[in-house]
This record gives sequence, C-alpha cells and structure tokens, in this order.
Amino acid sequence: MAIFIGKRLISLVLSLIAASLVVFFVIEVIPGDPASFMLGLNASPETVEALRQQMGLNLPLWERYFNWAGGLLRWEFGTSYTYKVPVSDLVSDRIWISLPLALYALALSTLIAFPVGILAASKRNSPADVGIMGATQLGIAVPNFWFAMLLVLAFAISLRWFSAGGFPGWEEGFFAGMKALTLPAIALALPQASILARVMRSSLLDTLSEDYIRTARAKGLSRKQTLWRHALRNALIPVLTIIGLQFSFLLAGAIIIENVFFLPGLGRLVFQGITQRDLIVVKSVVMLLVFAVIVVTFVVDIAYGIADPRLRGQRR
Amino acid sequence: MSDVDASGSGQQNLLGAALKSPSFMIGLVLTLIFTAGALLSFIWTPFEVDGVDIPNRLKCPPVQEWIWGLNFPGWGTNWFASWRCASAPQYLLGTDHFGRDVLSMVMVGARTSIAVAVVAVGIGIVLGVPLGLAAAARRGSLLDEIIMRTNDLVFAFPALLIAILITAVFGPSAVNAIIAIGIFNIPVFARLTRGAALSLWTREFVLAARVAGKGPVLISFEHILPNILNLLIVQGTIQFSLGILAEAALSYVGLGAQPPIPSWGRMLAEAQTMIAIAPHLALFPGFAIVLTVLGLNLMGDGLRDILDPKLRREKR
Amino acid sequence: MSLLKVKDLSLKIGDSKILSDIDLEVDKGEILGVIGESGSGKSMTALSIMQLLPEGARTAGSVQLDGAELLEKSEADMCALRGNDMGMIFQEPMSALNPVKTIGEQVAETALVHGGVSRAEAGEIARQTLDRVELPASQFPLTRYPHELSGGQRQRVVIAMAIALRPRLLIADEPTTALDVTTQAQILTLLRRLVEEDGMGLMLITHDLAVVADMADHIAIMQKGVVVEAGETLSVFRHMRHPYSKALFEASSHQPKRAPGREVKKDNVLKVSGVVRDYPGQRISLFKKPKPFRAVDGVSFAISKRENVGLVGESGCGKSTLTRAILGLEAVQGGKIELFDRPVMPGMASALRAGVQVVFQDPYGSFNPRWKVERLVAEPFHLLATPPADRRARVAEALKDVGMEPADMDKYIHEFSGGQRQRIAIARALVLRPDLIVLDEAVSALDVSIRAQILDLLAELSDRLGLSYLFISHDLSVVRAITDRVLVMKQGKIVEEGKSEEVFNNPQHPYTKELIGATPIIETALRMREERQIT
Repeated sequence: MAIFIGKRLISLVLSLIAASLVVFFVIEVIPGDPASFMLGLNASPETVEALRQQMGLNLPLWERYFNWAGGLLRWEFGTSYTYKVPVSDLVSDRIWISLPLALYALALSTLIAFPVGILAASKRNSPADVGIMGATQLGIAVPNFWFAMLLVLAFAISLRWFSAGGFPGWEEGFFAGMKALTLPAIALALPQASILARVMRSSLLDTLSEDYIRTARAKGLSRKQTLWRHALRNALIPVLTIIGLQFSFLLAGAIIIENVFFLPGLGRLVFQGITQRDLIVVKSVVMLLVFAVIVVTFVVDIAYGIADPRLRGQRR
Repeated sequence: MSDVDASGSGQQNLLGAALKSPSFMIGLVLTLIFTAGALLSFIWTPFEVDGVDIPNRLKCPPVQEWIWGLNFPGWGTNWFASWRCASAPQYLLGTDHFGRDVLSMVMVGARTSIAVAVVAVGIGIVLGVPLGLAAAARRGSLLDEIIMRTNDLVFAFPALLIAILITAVFGPSAVNAIIAIGIFNIPVFARLTRGAALSLWTREFVLAARVAGKGPVLISFEHILPNILNLLIVQGTIQFSLGILAEAALSYVGLGAQPPIPSWGRMLAEAQTMIAIAPHLALFPGFAIVLTVLGLNLMGDGLRDILDPKLRREKR
Repeated sequence: MSLLKVKDLSLKIGDSKILSDIDLEVDKGEILGVIGESGSGKSMTALSIMQLLPEGARTAGSVQLDGAELLEKSEADMCALRGNDMGMIFQEPMSALNPVKTIGEQVAETALVHGGVSRAEAGEIARQTLDRVELPASQFPLTRYPHELSGGQRQRVVIAMAIALRPRLLIADEPTTALDVTTQAQILTLLRRLVEEDGMGLMLITHDLAVVADMADHIAIMQKGVVVEAGETLSVFRHMRHPYSKALFEASSHQPKRAPGREVKKDNVLKVSGVVRDYPGQRISLFKKPKPFRAVDGVSFAISKRENVGLVGESGCGKSTLTRAILGLEAVQGGKIELFDRPVMPGMASALRAGVQVVFQDPYGSFNPRWKVERLVAEPFHLLATPPADRRARVAEALKDVGMEPADMDKYIHEFSGGQRQRIAIARALVLRPDLIVLDEAVSALDVSIRAQILDLLAELSDRLGLSYLFISHDLSVVRAITDRVLVMKQGKIVEEGKSEEVFNNPQHPYTKELIGATPIIETALRMREERQIT
C-alpha cells in the first residue's frame, strides 16, 4: 500500500507541475507581452512599463515561472490589476462558496444515484427500472444552468421557498449558507446523479454476471445477498472513476451556476477577470481549480486502491 | 458461441434491428428535426432573426395564453400568475424584449450548436483516434507514456477551464468555444481508442497479421480501426450531445458565440433577467437543448444496442 | 435409495429444448462421471440440479436429493440447501472468486449464510476447511486475496467453499479443464480423498474420457441434451453400444495415420541456438531497478525438413514467448534463431518470413470478423513482393487442401463452426506453401471428435506437402499422436528432448516423469480398474 500511495503522490506532484506549466504558457507566453495585452491599445508606454515592472515581466521566462510557482506554494498570487488588491484575498473569500457548492452537489449526486442505480439493477427490466432509465436519460440531457433557472422560477419566484439568489455569508451560520447553496447544488447534482445512477446500474449488472456471483449463489446466498455482499463492492470500482471525473464537471458547473444565483464565487471573479483582461486573476483562479481537480483525482485513486486489493501491490 | 460476431453480416440485419429499436428511432427523429430546422434556417425562417417588432415585444406563445385561460378550479391563482400574458398569433413561440421571433432564433441557434459540436467532435476524432491507435500499437513505449500522460493532463482541465484560458488570451468567440471543446474531446477519444485497441492487439488475428509481415500502421488501419468503429460511432454521438451542452454553457457565460450570432446559451443568458415576466424566453431554448441532447443520447444508446450484438442478446 | 436421483429431467430455455429425459443417479460415496462435448447439455444438467438456471429456463421431470424433490422447492428452500447439502465448483478458477474479498471471508461465508455459527466459529471452519484442501495456515492465512494465488490454489479455495459444511452432494463442472496437467492430477486426488472422507456423492462433469475412466464409478455419456449411454464405468468402456460413445472413445485415443516410409531429411529448416528472452520485471521498490524476468533461458533445438516436433510444457513455461521469437515478432536477448541459416528477427526480410507460418489456438479470435474468407486466407500474400495475379485460385487451392469448398471464400467467418474455422486458419498458413508451420495449441480448444479430424488433416498435409511442424501443446497425448520428436520445457529451459515414443515410454528427467504420470490415459486407468476388481 505504501508503494501504491507513493507512486500516486509522485504522479500528483508531476501533474501539478505540468498543469502549472500549461497555465503559465498560455497566459504569459502566448499573448507575447501580457502587460500591453492587459492595458489595451490606448495605454501609454509608461503605464505599460510600470505594469511590466510590477508583474516582473522583464525577468527571464524561467525565473518568472519559478517566482509564480513559488508564490502559489505560499498562497501568494500577485496583485489584481483591476481590483488593486492581492489576488489571494479575492480568492480566499470566494473559494469558500465554489468549493462547498461543488462538494455539496457531489454528495447530493452520490446520495441520489446510489440507491436509484442499485434499485434499477436489482429490479432489472421491471417498470421501476424502465422508469428510472427514462428519467435519467432526461436528466442527462438537461443543462444544469437551465435547470437552475427552472428551479428559480418554481421555488423562488412562484413558491417563494428560497431566495432567488445571493449569499448571506458563512458568518450568518452554517444552515443559512447551506440553504443558499441548496438550489444551486440540486441544479448541479441532478444531471450528474442521472449519469452516476446509469453507471452504477450498468456496473452492477456487469458484476452480477461474473463467475464469482454464480459461485456465491452455489454457496447458498440469495440473489439479494449476492448483490449486497459481492456485487456492490466490485461494481463500485468503475463508479469511483466516474465520481472523480464528475468532480471536475461539478466544479466547472459550480462556477457557471453561480451566475444564475448571483453567488459571489470564483466563477464571477474569473468571468469578470476575462472581460477586464485581468490575466493575473484568471491564471490564479484557473490554477486553483486545476489544483482542486488533480487533488480529487488523487483521492479517488487512493480510494481505488482501498476498494481493489489487486491494485495495492503485495506482489509475489 | 457460433454466433460470436454478427457485425459483418449484411446490412439488412442492421436496418431491421434499427427499425425495431424504439430508442434509436425516437433519437433519430429528434435529431433529424433539429438538423432539418437548422438547415432550413439557412433559406427560410418565419421572421427575420434580427427583425425588431417593438409593438409586439414580449409576446408569449399562443399555447401559453391558452393554458392560462383554462383556469382549472383548484389550481389557485398564484401557480401560473407569472404565466399571464398576451400572445400574438403569428409568433408561435412568442417574442423577446425587442419583439424578435423566438422560433426563428431557436432555429438559427440550432446552427451554432450543431456546428460547434460537430467540429469539436471532429477535432476529437481526427486527433484523438490516431493518438490512441499509436499508443496502443507501441504499448508500454515512451510514446505511449507521453500520449497517456498528456491525456491525463488535459483531463485535469474541464472544457470550461480550457475555454477560460483561451478566451482570456484570444477573446470570446464561437471558434474558441469549438477549440476548447475540441481539445477536451481529444483525450476522450484517445483513451477510448487505446483501450479498445489494446485488447484487439492481443487477439490472434492481429498476431496472424504480424506473421504476415504487416506493420503497426497497416494493422491499425486494416484490423484495429474497423473493429472499433462501432465504439467510435457510439462515443461520437455521446460527445456530440456533450458538445451541445458545453457550447450552451460557454455561450451562457459569454465565452461562446458572440452577438449577433444567435445561440441557445446566449438566449438563455438574456432570458434570465426577464424570467419573472417572460418565462417563455427561458423555456424554449432550454427545450431545444434538452430535446437535441436527448435525441442524440437515445440515438447513441440505440446504436450501441444495434451495433453490438453481444449486448443486444444480453438485454433480453 | 440413491443420494441423487434425476428422472426424466427436461429443460427448455425460451423455445429451444436443451435437455430431454435425463436419468442419472449418484450414491453416497460414489463418483458419477458425466461426459459430453460442448453443447451436450452437461453443464445445464448440473445447473438444473442446483436450480441456478438462467432466467426463462423451465424444467420438468424430477430431481430428488435423498428423496426430497428439488424442482418443487422454493428459492428460499434451495438457498438453504445450496452450500449446506449440495455444493458446486466450476471450470474457471481465475474468475470464480470475488477479487475484493479475502479467501477466509469467502470460505467462512458458506458457514455464515447458513446460520447457527458466530463469525469466529465461521472463521474456525474456514481455517479447518482450507487445511483439508491442503492450503496450510503457514502459507495461506485467511487474509490472502485471490489474486495472490495460482489457478490450482484458487480452485482449492473454491472446493473449500463448496465442502465447508460437508455437503452430501458435490457437483464439479469441468473442475480441472483450465488447469495444467500436474495441477489437474492434484485436484483430482484431492476430490477423491474428500469423497472418501466425507462419504459424499460426487458428480464429475468433464469432456475428458481419460479423467472419468480414472475417477468415476459410474459414467453417463451425453450428446445434444440426451444421455446416450450410462452404466458402471468399466462395462460401459468395454462394451460401448451407442455409435456416438464409440466415436467419442475412438477420437479420444486417435492416432493419425502417417504415410508409410516417411523419412525425415537431415537438413535443418529451423535452428534455435542458446536463445534467451528477458522481460522487464515488476517494480518492487520505487528506488530499485526491477529485476528482469527470464522467460526463455538458453533454449537450443533444430527442426528438419518434414519433421514434426512437439514442444510440451505447462502454462508459464515460456513456450508462447519462444513461439513469438521463432515467428520473428519479438527480438531475443541472447542466442540466435535461424531459418534456412538466415537469422530470424523482427525486421527480417518478407521472403524469409514467408517460410514460417502459424496456426493459433482460438478458432474464434484468429480472424478479423469483418473480412471475408478470401481476404483472410490471402493475408500472407502481403509478404510477396508483388501480389499474385491468381490470388483467388491460390486461395481456392488452399481451401481445398484443408477440405473446404472454394465457394467458402466469399463467406464471412462467423458462418463457420469452430472446426471449420481451424481448417481455414490452416489454409491461411498454407497459402504461401511455407516450409515450417508453428501450431500453437492449434487443437486445444476443439472438442475431441473435431480434434481427431484436424490431427488427421495435419498429418496428411505434412506427408503430402513435406511440411515441418513445431507443435506446441500442453496436452501430452496429442503431442504423442502427431510428433516425431518432442521437447519438454520447464521454466524457460528444455529439460528433455528425444524421439516421441522414447520420451513417452521411458522418460528420463523427473519433470517429464511427473508430467507423464499426471496425464490420465484411458487404457491404463481401465486396466487398473480391472486389476482391482479381480483382487
């Protein structure tokens, strides 16, 4: 197990380095001179030069990368050009909306998908199964931000159970915060839950046709017992991969859906950064999001190792 | 065992199976409707897409007025309060705040969605499939390692993050949305191709071809590619539908098609501010997305059943 | 009263009739051998008794265990019986165990689901049962996972699961087919011991007549869902009545006729000298370089014109690796392989490559399913500098050589049976008229009757066309039937080499002796049976 985790840790670090190189290359190298790009055509040479100094653009490329990457490690991202405040301050507030939203949605999606997928697989071809498969087919086709708008229409505008948007801040209490995130999380979670439930079902059905299920039946286990004791854990292995992949979609979805609910998260920050050509904000936020995705991938890989003893090594 | 692979057996069989698969037929019809609408919009739309008709602004569809007029007892008043509206009979799906015809805009918007998704899938296939074939043909080599690591890296960037990076530097446009979704598709196809090709490379007919002196390129095209074509077609339809969802999301947050090019995502963004007074503006582009994606997914599911006789048998 | 009594059992799945009027009986402490080729319904008979049939299956007739009618029992009652009163083991030990549970958990589960024991007691039962199947605690603690065990060890775990509660009836469906011959012998000995110790009845299902001749007290021969012949083992074998039984018996010990006065020329077609093939090893530590695994270790031999040489060894002995090197698909790390004194290697000239062709084991995986037979058989023409103008004629000739019709070349491969496909595979190997054909387990996947036909065909082709064969197999009796000379391979080395008759009659190396001793032979088994009866 130690070797397994060690290998994963190395690949985690390598992925982070590679990802940071990509972000650095796209933002700092492709535009040529990021400073004049950010200031636009009408800027005076003096202002451009001042920004070049501030961003350290006169240094060699590799030194710029190491300064930036070193800053990332110390949670220092530089100063936003438009807000004139350290990006770390901007980010620190907002990440606590986007990240909890994505995790909330992930939890919801998993909680919905597991029982639904298991039910469909265990009652294969029954009306329940057919109904679930139809509903999930529809769920996959619904864009989450549009679903969010429908939820606003139904639960905020018509029923007035929730406010149509905004975020009270965590200092108003955990439940107030969670309530504000509930509609967005549902909007994000249902389409993903549809995918996950389908994966769960087909993975379970695959597993149920394995030889060892027949062996278990020959031992005297009922169908139900084989499902719970033998099929489920094996079926989880491919499902884990999907959960890992879903997190990156949910994170991306979260920053989109913030627009529907006027949540002051990373999404609003980064889209404003794009319109204002604030490359410093953009590259920091993108790097953070990529960091989150890579870390979750790492966690899923470890979970994989726990679920599947064959991956853990112990080779003869 | 004798009916191991019927895939080479005549086209009649496939056609018969296609006609018998309800999901494929429903999917095909939906896809054809939207494709036809998109094509038709090149030569004819009910109204000019940018035809402003201020006297008829924010008209709701006649259907909506009719539903509201039904006035079932016990429906109460508040449920459909926001649906109260006036329609103009010539505007089947109503008009927006400039009096533009929603139906015409949805038709032209289909063009954008389909074009973006098709080209993005094309990019994924043209680049991803050869990479996957090459990686499988040189399994375990440095080339394989590089291709797969690069794939993993791209997977850490959801399409939205790629789009953010691209638009931050090049500005938002439909072309950049295509590139972002296309880049995201490359590892999807590369992985799928590599995985399927790897299992084919261990098959004895490939060994036989190697004994017949055929090199990896020839084998990849003669033996591997034809046998994974079904898989690619199915994945192609799935990525097509994901592309439509992604394009809508990118346009919604302003990273996709720019005015005056109509797109479903941007129509939804504009509708959002008026959702309380004109919900139909949010409903119809959303329906268009859902039905197109649903159609493609159903078609993909149907194709999988039709093209893979093993799965078809098992389903009974 | 017999322990298991099957009377007039018939089975339908959907509209197709799988079994009709099956009568079988198993007594306490008795072994019933059920023999049949693929599609004979022997496995379905077993699943009918266990009531583990696929959905949509309908049974009729009677299956009684100690007088209790099983076909009328509810699913819950059957669950209580399975694992408790009747156990079953299956063919594929590699996939028969749950990969994410320890062997201890899986064996203990048998005791746990039938209630009445605590977790600790179930663990105790698991330990005792694993000891009984000769997996001692020192090497095989309960915490082992299936992937840490070999195929034979896994099959022991499966047996342990089935016998943990000492059932009255054990059904074994091809329990040794996937195993090496020495492992097969051990598993069969284990099964026989368990039958004697527990006095349970064993229903042993197999395609291998030699196994039942050795093991079974009674046998039943099945064909197409019907029992065609049944009775006490010796009398059935000695007085076969049904034509199918006779054909099966004849095919099992079939010896292809060779051309009279066939002589082997002394010139070498293939010469293998001191070949070494290493694979990169598994990385055990992050910091140490992995130790390479030596799959082929200094192998030398030669094959002359017209000579049929056998290469025998168990799985993992390196014979497949050696094959790939001889076919010029993989480079060797030491020694050399020469075809007509020219070196064989991955980049060798097409003309040289045309001299050696191959037939593989799996008649289903050997062909691209999207091609027609003509293109499949013609594939080796790729080795010619210019494609032949008379391509169709030459394909037709190759097809005729293997007993197929020239018209078959316009069909797709899925239109043919396993035996026909193997003929087409031979046609593909023949089409260039090579000097050497490598037959890599070429008859191992075939039923005995088909196997006999293919062996005849191979013998005839070698005699008529002067072909040399390298016949690779794990099956000693097949190798003995067709080869002039035999090589015995173990752990990458050739441990014994000699004329086939001499090696089989008088093996020198201990491993060869073990192999030959482990291979069941019908005649030997029957003779021992007769001796026992007399005394």
